Amino acid sequence: MKKQSWYMLLLLVVLSVFLVACNSSDEGTDSNEGTEDTDTTTDEGSEGTTDEGATGGVLVYGRGGDTVALDPAIVTDGESFRVTENVYDTLLTFGEQDTTVQPSLAKEWTVSEDGLTYTFMLEEGVTFHDGTTFNADAVVQNFERWAAGSAEQFYYYNSMFMSEGESVIASVEAQDDTTVVFTLTRPQAPFLKNIAMSPFAIASPAAFDQLEDNPVGTGPFKFVEWKRNDSITLEKNTAFWKDGLPKLDRVIFRAIPDNSARLNALTTGEIDIADGINPSDATSIQSNSELQLIERPSMNIGYLGLTNNRAPFDDVKVRQAVNHAIDKQTIIDAFFQGYAEPAVNPMPSTISGYNEEITGYEYDPEKAKALLAEAGYNGEEFELWAMPVPRPYMPDGQKVAEAIQKNLEDVGMKAKIVTYEWATYLEKAKNGEADAFLLGWTGDNGDADNFLYTLLDKDNIGSNNYAYYSSDEAHTLLVQAQSEVDEDKRNELYKQAQVIIHEDAPWVPLAHSTPLIAAKSTVQDYLPHPTGSEALTNVSVK
Amino acid sequence: MVQVTTEPVMEKEVGPWKEGWRRFRKNKIALVGAAIVAFVVFLALFGPFIAPQGVNEQDLTKRLLPPSGEHWLGTDDFGRDIFSRIILGARISIAVGFFSVIISIVVGTFLGVVAGYYGGWLDTIISRIFDILLAFPSILLAIAIVSILGPSLQNALIAIAIINIPNFGRLVRSKVLSIKQEEYIMAAKAIGMKNNRILWRHILPNSMTPVIVQGTLAIATAIIEAAALGFLGLGAQIPTPEWGKMLADARIYLLNAPWTIVFPGLAIMITVLGFNLMGDGLRDALDPKMKN
Repeated sequence: MKKQSWYMLLLLVVLSVFLVACNSSDEGTDSNEGTEDTDTTTDEGSEGTTDEGATGGVLVYGRGGDTVALDPAIVTDGESFRVTENVYDTLLTFGEQDTTVQPSLAKEWTVSEDGLTYTFMLEEGVTFHDGTTFNADAVVQNFERWAAGSAEQFYYYNSMFMSEGESVIASVEAQDDTTVVFTLTRPQAPFLKNIAMSPFAIASPAAFDQLEDNPVGTGPFKFVEWKRNDSITLEKNTAFWKDGLPKLDRVIFRAIPDNSARLNALTTGEIDIADGINPSDATSIQSNSELQLIERPSMNIGYLGLTNNRAPFDDVKVRQAVNHAIDKQTIIDAFFQGYAEPAVNPMPSTISGYNEEITGYEYDPEKAKALLAEAGYNGEEFELWAMPVPRPYMPDGQKVAEAIQKNLEDVGMKAKIVTYEWATYLEKAKNGEADAFLLGWTGDNGDADNFLYTLLDKDNIGSNNYAYYSSDEAHTLLVQAQSEVDEDKRNELYKQAQVIIHEDAPWVPLAHSTPLIAAKSTVQDYLPHPTGSEALTNVSVK
Repeated sequence: MVQVTTEPVMEKEVGPWKEGWRRFRKNKIALVGAAIVAFVVFLALFGPFIAPQGVNEQDLTKRLLPPSGEHWLGTDDFGRDIFSRIILGARISIAVGFFSVIISIVVGTFLGVVAGYYGGWLDTIISRIFDILLAFPSILLAIAIVSILGPSLQNALIAIAIINIPNFGRLVRSKVLSIKQEEYIMAAKAIGMKNNRILWRHILPNSMTPVIVQGTLAIATAIIEAAALGFLGLGAQIPTPEWGKMLADARIYLLNAPWTIVFPGLAIMITVLGFNLMGDGLRDALDPKMKN
């Protein structure tokens, strides 16, 4: 048994050697190469396909979680869309790094004067991966499939095109083989943006009943195999309708849940791109000449939801007090390493309709205490929920929660940090079981409706309105804005809604973060999209 | 500790405990272990008076500072003094180690004595329960128990206590079985002494030596198990400065701020080393087979 003790001593020695080694390597890396790679240039011309011949290659994309299902119409999670974007195409798509509407399967479109009829002219000569032809009829069948399903089945279709039980899309008809006409029951301002969203990808009607695990689309890559909780393999679609694309021969999406393990896999060369980089690792990636740090353009909000129908947050003064109590800037400096902007409103300032006149609740513990005293808050303990997994809008929920807990303690509020497994967390929060909870949202289409209505309208209590915020005033404005086609009037409505939301303080808007991605320096033309997922059509590996 | 007077008295008036202490004293390595244990226990008792800072004095402008004159072991990602947190964490580790083992010893010894002395169907049932508990890898069983009870320090303590019960139970049972055959027990029975008295006054004290050795070593294991549960988020909850939890929280800073992870790790290691060395020394000192 003595032997055991000696082994322990030996371990001690090994550990201390390791410690010393770490210190010296830290000092040695001061060079600042690789930073030029972080310039996320919106280079429209990068579509040029002629310069390199047969680059090809295999790209392994490391990400935090596995796909839920490969049918984009039935899922809501970013990790599913990340794959489906490569297998399917949508009628319209977004700009490479923005949310402007661009042609895709529909090469042109016209809108009637009254905003009720949309006519799409489709690309010709496009085939699905199973060899069937893509045509107007296929589009109609896809929309009919979604319209026939329930809200649980096709969440996004129902959230975008159904309102108060009434369908926005009256009919979808094939005028001829390459022309589709959509007729709406009422004008919908973000209609084109909605159509461009990843869930509304056109699948082969012949494959409708097997899309979940055997997707068939028209996209740049064909599905090969899916090893659950491990990897999804795609191969080049040689018959892709855009000539000379895609550049890669094979794409493999690997799920590596732990952020540090994923970065390790990148440095050891197991993977080529690692999503979800801890901000604290940014500098070491920048100083490594074999890696590049890529910033995803920010279009998200990380927030602290205060469940509006639960004590003590059923009192608006308490909610305002919490807003005053939290030191956002310091939290951002510490746990986002500055890769974030403090949030004021429930949506990022790049989205049109953002109200810049609102200045936000400044950090003021004294004011918070005064408000709490006014509200008669008696110091009762409440639960502060922290998400268990890193999210693009918040790299480390646990740490942020711990800092917030301390901020609140300073003004006399006692919070107990609680966490659950991710799916349970969302489910329970959706049921309104949390007192205060951290959560966030990455925009789907860059429209104000997708933030304000989706997250804070009383219609969405029980789905994305986790805070159970219910304001009739805001509801009226938000619903009015949905069918307002005049851009200026519409923005004005959103600005008014933000004033009301600001006063009611259903959340503490925390940060608009810039998600970080690391890639090998040999990866070229990878342009991450603000919506959180993108097709890898133009990407190549040197 | 336990005073034993019923053992047949030797000529030189040297009891087995005194004899053991003499042998223990001669063992330098065991003394080092005992010193480490004494030091950690001292920290556990007087930590709040020694630690320069409190448990949760966050200062986000001073995060991840390397060791310096002001912060001897550096600061963690909330700008808290790691030195202070390690000192204050000693109390948690020692408490979990000590109390969980006490619970295991009390329950295990009781079951072991009953099983060993009475035998029969009681013995069969108790022994099979021990077998079932021992069939699971101990940490898995602990995780399962904590998942049922809910993650907290107290529940981690209970889980660790439960998984260690069979170790003590079996130890005591086998000891009781052999003592039962001793002549002085026969004698006690012959003069008509009641079962209860024989059990608790004669058999129990005489079977305590291996329990004490095993107990010291079990504290070491319990501390590691508590740290493992803490690391997995199933033990102490933030902001408690539990060492395993500190390790887990610091692991993303392994490369850029190694002091945040190395020092809590060393604290666990040194403490466990101390208990192991002391336990080994006790074993050598108290084991009658080791006598010249």
